[in-house]
Amino acid sequence: MKKKYSGIEKKLSRWGWYFVTPSLIFFMLFSFYPIINAAYISLFRKKILSLKAPDFLGLGNYKYLLSSSDFWNSMRATFVFTLGTFIPLVIVSLLLAVLIMGRNKGKKFLQLAYYSPAVLSSVVAAVIWMMIFDPRGIANQWLNFLVNTPGVDHLWLAKSFMVQFSTMLVYFWKYIGYFVVIFIAGLASIPHSLYEAAKIDGAVPRQIFWRITLPLLKPTVLLVSIMAMLQCLKTFGTQYLFVQAGSPQAPINVITLNIYNTGIRDHLLGRASAMSIILFVIMLFFTWLQFKTSKADDVDY
Amino acid sequence: MKKIIPILLTLIFLALPLFAAGQPEEEGSITITFWTHEDPNRTALEERYIKEFEAANPDVTIERVTNSSKKMPELLLTAFAANEGPHIFNTQIEDGYAYIANGRVAPVNLKAAGYSSTSDLKNAYVDGVLNAVTEGGDVYGLPLELTNWAPYVNKRVFRDAGLDPEKDYPKTWEDIVAVSEKMVLRKGDIITRRGFDFRFPYYLVSMVPMVEQLGGKLVSDDGKTAIINDKAWLTFLEFMADWGPNGKNLGSPTYKNGRKLFNMDNNDMGMCLSGLYQIGRIRADNKEFYDSGDWMVIPFPQFENAVEDVASAYYGHYYMVNNQKSSREQEVAWEFISYMLSHSEEYLSEVGLIQPTKALMSSETFKNIPYGDVFANDLAKGHMVYYAENSAKIQELMKEAVEGVLLSGIAPEKALASLKVKAQEVLDQQ
Repeated sequence: MKKKYSGIEKKLSRWGWYFVTPSLIFFMLFSFYPIINAAYISLFRKKILSLKAPDFLGLGNYKYLLSSSDFWNSMRATFVFTLGTFIPLVIVSLLLAVLIMGRNKGKKFLQLAYYSPAVLSSVVAAVIWMMIFDPRGIANQWLNFLVNTPGVDHLWLAKSFMVQFSTMLVYFWKYIGYFVVIFIAGLASIPHSLYEAAKIDGAVPRQIFWRITLPLLKPTVLLVSIMAMLQCLKTFGTQYLFVQAGSPQAPINVITLNIYNTGIRDHLLGRASAMSIILFVIMLFFTWLQFKTSKADDVDY
Repeated sequence: MKKIIPILLTLIFLALPLFAAGQPEEEGSITITFWTHEDPNRTALEERYIKEFEAANPDVTIERVTNSSKKMPELLLTAFAANEGPHIFNTQIEDGYAYIANGRVAPVNLKAAGYSSTSDLKNAYVDGVLNAVTEGGDVYGLPLELTNWAPYVNKRVFRDAGLDPEKDYPKTWEDIVAVSEKMVLRKGDIITRRGFDFRFPYYLVSMVPMVEQLGGKLVSDDGKTAIINDKAWLTFLEFMADWGPNGKNLGSPTYKNGRKLFNMDNNDMGMCLSGLYQIGRIRADNKEFYDSGDWMVIPFPQFENAVEDVASAYYGHYYMVNNQKSSREQEVAWEFISYMLSHSEEYLSEVGLIQPTKALMSSETFKNIPYGDVFANDLAKGHMVYYAENSAKIQELMKEAVEGVLLSGIAPEKALASLKVKAQEVLDQQ
């Protein structure tokens, strides 16, 4: 039976709508409408400069993509990058957060230091790292010093494997601090009394981490893993700049880069839209899968 | 219902700006937007032309906006996609052709540009240079510059490597390898001085001619078949594989652009490929080096077993006018373009840009420009770069093939097979 609102409740609900409306409009204009529009355009042979009405292809763009080796290479590049980046990101950021929380001094400084790369744009980060990865840059110098291989060019931006690894390294460096801060917020919300009780019961730090911290941090782990995965699937700036700087494209031709090239360079907006819809579905699916497999509801302390 | 009305009203109010559109003004003052790529030497000239043009036409304001040449194609495309392109723009013909093919640019307004007829216009320019911008008998652009590339030589680096630049300068690609091997300096595998640097991102301009020297072609004459003459392509790809870090290790696209290092004369770049405009940039960047005479320009090399005498392809930057602007604005835009292009001798002497009119090519200014003869001779042996709606994609496929053999150690045969299939697919979809 429909609940009837009256008095203060009615007023509150009206004000709720007023506050939510701007963000709803923003979402509809800049997120929902582009998605619907892209889905629509993906059904046409739409060229970006053409003023003529585009031909209707139905699922033609999707059929083409599913039989295109270039598209499947992009899928491979995207998944290699995502797996190679988001798993270390989640694990290392969790460990760093626990380490930072365990310190008595310098907590704020470490948070700030780890977080600082996150405020840089991807473009600036990639430019900095391009200088580091330059054959005469410090990446070669440091690695050669560490492994005692003077004068070896490790071809950071050139070899197929190395250029993939380099993009992962840039992304990892850029976002690790961001996720550390989220984990720290999650850790801070776990009641201290639980740790005290565990210590009184004789639990060692390893047991405390596995039996108390990690289970109670499950919602944060889920949030971080979804955010990290979605960020990785959407990666673009680093790969784009590396290719512009002369790196081979095929190893790092992630879906977003392929979308950009297909739409902007090749002018094929319909095909680029089809690719973006496929990426959207993939992201939706993995987000759903993570929710489903984690079974993480609210945690009671 | 009461709730819906204010929400709907708010939505309509917020959406109003989306539908706002100015009426084109047919009378009164107008503003012409002019997008072009960055070139400090040219900026000084064109800012002056703008002032002069505005003084002569008080109701006209010209807004000149510059962006890097790499960014410009993307910015133009997105602006035109939103039907918000500038009045005037220039872009390389490989990118610009799509604007003509899709009817986004207006034909040259002959009266405003100062010509009595299309044939009068074509007669003013060197034969063939307007072909790329001619469709259905109309001309859609006027060249800001026609550029080909030739190697610039740093004589000091040659002498430092024990070479005599006047005698030992390279005539063939095999010579380029030989002198580069003498000039290259390394710390281990890491190159600290290169003998020569290719213009890596621009494969259609500098590398397709190398294939053509060997008898190959990018696209058949009828435009239906891609990658002609496997043997020529294979020889070229083997040459490039040998050049890279897996071969003789003489350079790669991941090192800094040679033409940027060349001007600084820091003993790290022996030769680089560039256009006539590089002379003005050497003068601007390093006056001492420019005045020293320790640099020179040599003809585009040939392969020893070349079957065709082909020099670097040339590309044109053409001024074009947005077809979606009002007729008055288009007319003023062509008047302004015509005014700028009436200073072609100044463009040549101050910026090093060749605006290929017959008058300029036979002028004393052109004859007196240093190394103008080298570029002119090469120009006669070259052809317009491959341009089509798919040229950017074809260039990307060439990049993939060349960098595959150069950097990733892919066998030339495999890279060629992949290039053939993919390039043919692009042509078939056209």
